[in-house]
Amino acid sequence: MWSRVVEVMLGCWLVVSPFVFRYADNATWLWGGTFATATVVILLALSSYWRPMRHAHLATFAVAAGMILVGRFLPADAPPLAYQNFIYVGVLLLMFSLVPNDASRPPRSWKEAPATSN
Amino acid sequence: MPEQALTKQLRSGFPAETSVLGVAVTPWSYNPSSWSQRIPICLLALVGFLVATYMGLFQWKLIDEVWDPIFGKQTAAVLTSTVAEWMHGVFGVPDAAFGALAYLGDAIFGLAGSTRRWQYRPWLVILFGIDVIPLGIVSAILVLCQAFIVGEWCFLCLVTAVISLVLVKMAYDEVLSSLMFLHRIWKKTRSASAVWKATWGWPAPGVKEAAAELVKEPA
Repeated sequence: MWSRVVEVMLGCWLVVSPFVFRYADNATWLWGGTFATATVVILLALSSYWRPMRHAHLATFAVAAGMILVGRFLPADAPPLAYQNFIYVGVLLLMFSLVPNDASRPPRSWKEAPATSN
Repeated sequence: MPEQALTKQLRSGFPAETSVLGVAVTPWSYNPSSWSQRIPICLLALVGFLVATYMGLFQWKLIDEVWDPIFGKQTAAVLTSTVAEWMHGVFGVPDAAFGALAYLGDAIFGLAGSTRRWQYRPWLVILFGIDVIPLGIVSAILVLCQAFIVGEWCFLCLVTAVISLVLVKMAYDEVLSSLMFLHRIWKKTRSASAVWKATWGWPAPGVKEAAAELVKEPA
């Protein structure tokens, strides 16, 4: 579950990043978008600990892809640092979201006998 | 359980709870997914990450100078060249920072998975291979192109290019094992479905036999 822990930490970084990158006070949607993204990332990572929701972290992949697209294509010119942060954290989340929960152990399908097994 | 059945079970890796994960795989005399193989890759990738991040900090203008014991100011010239700025425009972040992410990806995908992941999670090994091998070769070529196009040399860029190529050398055996495993499944079953399932970690018919044929002995 180490990758889920890192996702929570990246979510926490997103929470503080508006203050680090000094978002303008009137950039309401940017503040809201960053906090909303952080909340979704943290919730998806935490819900992956609950067995029925163990694949929730895969949804982080879509969130991360959205962050990269917003960071790369929303600014008209070269992305300012706040948007570069979206790209950077987005790529990190993209990679971590693919790591399975119990990555160091064999997958369940190799532990149990599936119907198709010979 | 009879000894022959036990040996077959150990070689096929199923069920995983009672199997041995640390097995040597043909054509190697060792387990390419063992921690002793993967940890050095992750450590070297982290060195690459740190070096690339250092250059990224300079491109972000968070530090004023960049260290180069051989080519002096040429490194700064390379990192602020029109080629570097063009790549910044393409990626949205400085190219060195983007390279740092690729090295971190090597470490992340190198750490994930069991010591028999070449069999249990081929997709993860292939993803790791995509991050290390094609991207590593391309990044090394890009660094060399930059040196020749810009006409200046960057010591730390060359260090990262060497790290990329060493990582390719260190990682290819595990990727090859996974690909050989999938190829053997194809040869045995001629079923794209079996190969597809095996890629995603499902023991479809023929998969266990293919694994058993590749395993040499408990390492």
